[in-house]
Amino acid sequence: MDTSSIKKTALSAISTSSSIDVLENVYKSYLGKTGELNTLLKTLGSLPADKRKAAGQSLNSLKKEIERSYTEKQKILLNLESQDKLRSDRLDVTLPGNSSDVGSFHPVTETLNSISAFFQSLGFEIASGPEAETDYYNFEALNVPADHPAKDMHDTFYLSNGGLLRTHTSPVQIRTMEQQDPPLRIICPGRVYRKDSDLTHTPMFHQIEGLVLEEGASFSQLKGLLNDFLSNFFGQEMELRFRPSYFPFTEPSAEVDIRWKKGWLEVLGCGMVHPNVLDMAGIDTKKYSGFAFGLGVERMAMLKYDIPDLRAFFENDHRFLKQF
Amino acid sequence: MQFSKNWLKDFVDIDISTEELCEQLTMAGLEVDGYESFESKITGKDAIIKLDITPNRGDCFSVLGVAREVAIANNLKFKLPNIKPINSSIESPKTITVCPEAPVYAGRFIRNINLSIKTDPLIAERLETSEHRLIDPVVDITNYILLELGQPLHAFDSDKLEGSLRVRFAKESEKLTLLDETSISLSKDCLVIADKKKSVAFAGIMGGLNSSVTSKTESVFLESAFFSPKVIRGKARRYGLQTDASVRFERGVDFNLQELAIKKASMLLSDSVGGNFGPIQLVSDKKNLPKKKKITVSLAKTNAVLGSSISKVRAKKYLTGLGLSPELKNEKISVLVPSWRYDIAIEADLIEELARLEGYDKLPKKSLNPIPINNSISPKEVASNFFVSLGYNEVITYSFIDHDDAGLVNKDSSSLKVSNPISQNMSVMRPSLWPGLLNTYINNLNNGNSSQKIFEVGSTFSLSKKGVVKETKKIAGLIAGNNTPMHWKGKNKIYDFYDLKGHVENLASMMKVKISFEEKTTPFLHPGKSAIIKLHNKKAGHIGALHPDIINVKGLKEETFLFSIDLDALHNDQSILYKKFSRFPASQRDLAFIVDQEVSNDEVMNLIKLQGGKDLVDLIIFDVYQGTGVPDNKKSLAYALKWQSKERTLIDVEVDGIVKKIVKSLFKELNATLRT
Repeated sequence: MDTSSIKKTALSAISTSSSIDVLENVYKSYLGKTGELNTLLKTLGSLPADKRKAAGQSLNSLKKEIERSYTEKQKILLNLESQDKLRSDRLDVTLPGNSSDVGSFHPVTETLNSISAFFQSLGFEIASGPEAETDYYNFEALNVPADHPAKDMHDTFYLSNGGLLRTHTSPVQIRTMEQQDPPLRIICPGRVYRKDSDLTHTPMFHQIEGLVLEEGASFSQLKGLLNDFLSNFFGQEMELRFRPSYFPFTEPSAEVDIRWKKGWLEVLGCGMVHPNVLDMAGIDTKKYSGFAFGLGVERMAMLKYDIPDLRAFFENDHRFLKQF
Repeated sequence: MQFSKNWLKDFVDIDISTEELCEQLTMAGLEVDGYESFESKITGKDAIIKLDITPNRGDCFSVLGVAREVAIANNLKFKLPNIKPINSSIESPKTITVCPEAPVYAGRFIRNINLSIKTDPLIAERLETSEHRLIDPVVDITNYILLELGQPLHAFDSDKLEGSLRVRFAKESEKLTLLDETSISLSKDCLVIADKKKSVAFAGIMGGLNSSVTSKTESVFLESAFFSPKVIRGKARRYGLQTDASVRFERGVDFNLQELAIKKASMLLSDSVGGNFGPIQLVSDKKNLPKKKKITVSLAKTNAVLGSSISKVRAKKYLTGLGLSPELKNEKISVLVPSWRYDIAIEADLIEELARLEGYDKLPKKSLNPIPINNSISPKEVASNFFVSLGYNEVITYSFIDHDDAGLVNKDSSSLKVSNPISQNMSVMRPSLWPGLLNTYINNLNNGNSSQKIFEVGSTFSLSKKGVVKETKKIAGLIAGNNTPMHWKGKNKIYDFYDLKGHVENLASMMKVKISFEEKTTPFLHPGKSAIIKLHNKKAGHIGALHPDIINVKGLKEETFLFSIDLDALHNDQSILYKKFSRFPASQRDLAFIVDQEVSNDEVMNLIKLQGGKDLVDLIIFDVYQGTGVPDNKKSLAYALKWQSKERTLIDVEVDGIVKKIVKSLFKELNATLRT
C-alpha cells in the first residue's frame, strides 16, 4: 500500500494550516470518522493476510505521524491566536481612570492634625470646650480680673446673651481641670475670636493649647517639649529662643521665637501655670505643677506652606484649597 | 514706649552697641519692637528704641525703669540724677485734701511764669523722639517727667482754681469737659480733682478744660499724685480715654516717686519759665498706701520648677540687683518688694525674676517622656476622611454670618448675636453651616467653578428662651454641578438629590450607624426635595435641595444640594459580633408593582419586609418607571428579592407562597397590582 503520497499531502496540509479551524478540518479529512486514513484502515480486512500486517503497520505509523504533526501545529496556532487576542485587547493605559476629582483637607485642618499627632504620640489627649464662653472661663479663672489692663491684650467679641466668644483656647484648660484629676496631658485645638481685622489679623482664627499637669512638671521639660515639637513640625532641628513675657495665667511666662530667615520669629507663648489658676481650679499645688503653651495654627500653616496672606484661609478659593 | 538711647545714659553708664542693648532688653522681657539710629543735635550719635511693654511691667513705662533693667543686665550701677532744689520764695495757701484712693498728693504753686520762651532743645528733642508733640514749656516739662520717671504730672492754671483742692469721687452724672474738649458724664466710681465749686480734672486720666494752662497763663499749680491702680482701672477704657497718665496709673506708679518728680519738674521749670515757687505741699496718707510685701522663695522649689541649678549666691545677687533686699534664712530667701514692682506678689513671681535674670536660654531643656494612651479616631476625622476621599474640598468659614443669611435658616428669634460685630455681615453666630457653604460655593462659582463638592466641620449656635447658648458640632456639605466633569468615557451627569443621599448613606454604612430618612422639610430647603436624616432612629440632620426662593435671591441657575449632620449622633458604640452566614443556595424573585404616584418606596419596602419572612435576606429596588404601559398617575416599582435559610435549602413552593402573601398584602394596603 502506498502511503507516501497521502503522508506528503497530509503533512503539507497541516503545516500550511493558517488557523485552528483549518487545521481541525484537515485533521478531520484524514482522521475523522470518514477521513481518508480511517477509510483506508477499514479496508485492511479485505486485504490478503500476508499483506495485511505490513499495510496495517504502515497506516498506523502514518496515523501517529499525522497526529503528532497535528498536535504540534495546534500548539503553535493556539499560541499565535492567544497572542493575537492579547494584541487586540491592548488598552491605552495613558487614558485617565474613572474617578472624580480628589478632595482636600483645609490647610488649617492639615496643620492641626499634624500638630495633634505629635502630641498624641506623647500621651496628650484632645480636649474641647464651647466657643461661646463666659467671662469667668475666658478671663477670671485665668487670673484676669475685671478691668485688668491685660484685658486690653484681647479685643473681645461680646454676645447678646451676656457671654463672649473665647479669645483663646485656654478656657478648655480650666474646664478640663475642673472635671478631671491630674496627672493631665491635654491639647485643646479650636476656633478663637478677636475683634481685629486687617492684613495680619482675621476676626477668627485657630489656636492649639497644651497643658501638662503632673508631679515634677518643669520649665526645662517645657523647653524640651517645645524644642522637640517645633523640630518635628518643620522636619528639621530648629533653633529656639525663649524670652520672658507676660500672660496673666502663667508665671514664669515666655514667648518662643524660632530662627527664621536670618531673624527671630515669634511662634508661640508658654509658661508655668500660674498658682492662682491652679488654686481656682482646685488643684493641689503642693503636689502638682503644670505648664501650658498656646500657638496660632494659621501662623504655623503660613510658615509650613509658605502662604503669604492670612486672609486666604477663610476665602476658601478652590484654587487655594485644592493645593493641600 | 519709645525713647532715645542717650537718655538712658543719664541713669546708667552704658557703652554697648544699640543692637546689643536691644538684645539685652528683649531677653529681659522688654520686647524691642524696633530701633533706628539718628544723630542728636545735642548729644551726638543716638538711637530711638521702641519697646513693647507687657501690662505687668508698669515700672518700665519710663526711661528710669528701663535704665534699672539695663543696669542689672550689664552689672552696672544705677544712679538717680542730681536735682538742684528750688526753694520757695512765696507763701501759698494749704490746698489739698486727699482720699484713700489717692494716698499721696504733692503740689506746688508757681507764680509769674514766662510762657513765651521756648522749650529747652534737649527736652524738645527727647519729647519728639518719644513721639510727643510740643505744646508749651510747662506741659512739655510735665510730659518729660512722665517719660523719664514714669510719674504723670498735671499743671493747672492756678488763677482758674477757686479755693482749695480735694480729691473725691464724682457725683453721679457729674459733667466735665476735658482738655481735648470732649464732655463726659462721670459716674460715682470715677475719681476727680475738684476745687470748691467744680471738678477740674478726671484724676489720673485727663485734666479739665476749665483749669487748663493756656498761653495767657501766669501761675500754675503743679500736681504730682499717686492714685491707686484699682480706682483708675477700666475708667479710661470705659470713656475711650487711654492717656499716657492712665496707662501708667492703672498698671501702678511708684508711690515713693511723687516728691522726687515735683522736685525735678521744679528744677526744669525754674531753668526755663522761671517764676516764684511756693513750698512743696506733700500730703501722704500712709495707711492707705499699698502694703510693702514680704515674700519668701524657696531655692529648692525654684530649681525644681525651672529644672535649674541656681546657687544661693547667684540668687541673692539677682534679687539685690532688682532692689528686693533679699535675706537668706535656712534654704529660703525672703525679700521686700520695692514700691515700683506691682507684679511681684507671690513666690512664683520671684521664681520668674530668678529665671529671667539667670536667662531663659541658660535654663536646661529636657524631653518629655511619652505616656501610652488609647487614641481612637474621632467620628469627625472618619467623616472628614470619607468626604475628602469622595472628592469634597474641606472649607472653613467664619462662625459669624450675615444677619439676612441667618434669617434664611432660622425663622424664629433664637439666634445668638454678636453685640459688637466687625460689620453687619458678621453679626450673627451661625445657626447653620449652610449659609457659609452656600456663599463659598457662590464665590467659587463666580471664579468659574461650576462643579463643586465642599464640606465644613464646625459649631452652630442657638439661644434657648432662657438665654442659654446651645452649641452643636456639625458636619455639613454642599454639591452642585456635574458629577463627572469632562471625562473621555462618559457623558456629564448633573448632580441630583440621590447623589448626595448616596454619599450620606455610604458614610453611615461605613461607620455602622443605622440611618433612615423621613420626608420633612426645614427652612433653606425645597419643601418637596428634603428630608430629615435619622441616625439610630433619632433626628440628626437634614438633606435636600436648596429652596428655589434662595436660588433666586442668590442669582443661581443650578440646583444645589445640601446636608447637615450632628457630629455627636454620628457614632456607633456597639462592638461588632460575628454572625454565622448561610451556606445554602438562595431563591430569587423579581417583582414589579403598579402603585399610585404618591406611594413611597419606603411604604412598599416595609410591607414586603413584613410579609417576606425571616429568610428574606435582600430587598433591592432596581427600577422606577412611568410611561408607556403604566397608567397615568401610577408608577411601576420593581424589586429584587432574595431568600436564604440558615438551616436548609428553600423549596420553590415555599417562596411562591410568600410571594403570594406579599402581593396580597400590597394590594390590600396600597392598592398595588403586580405588573406582568
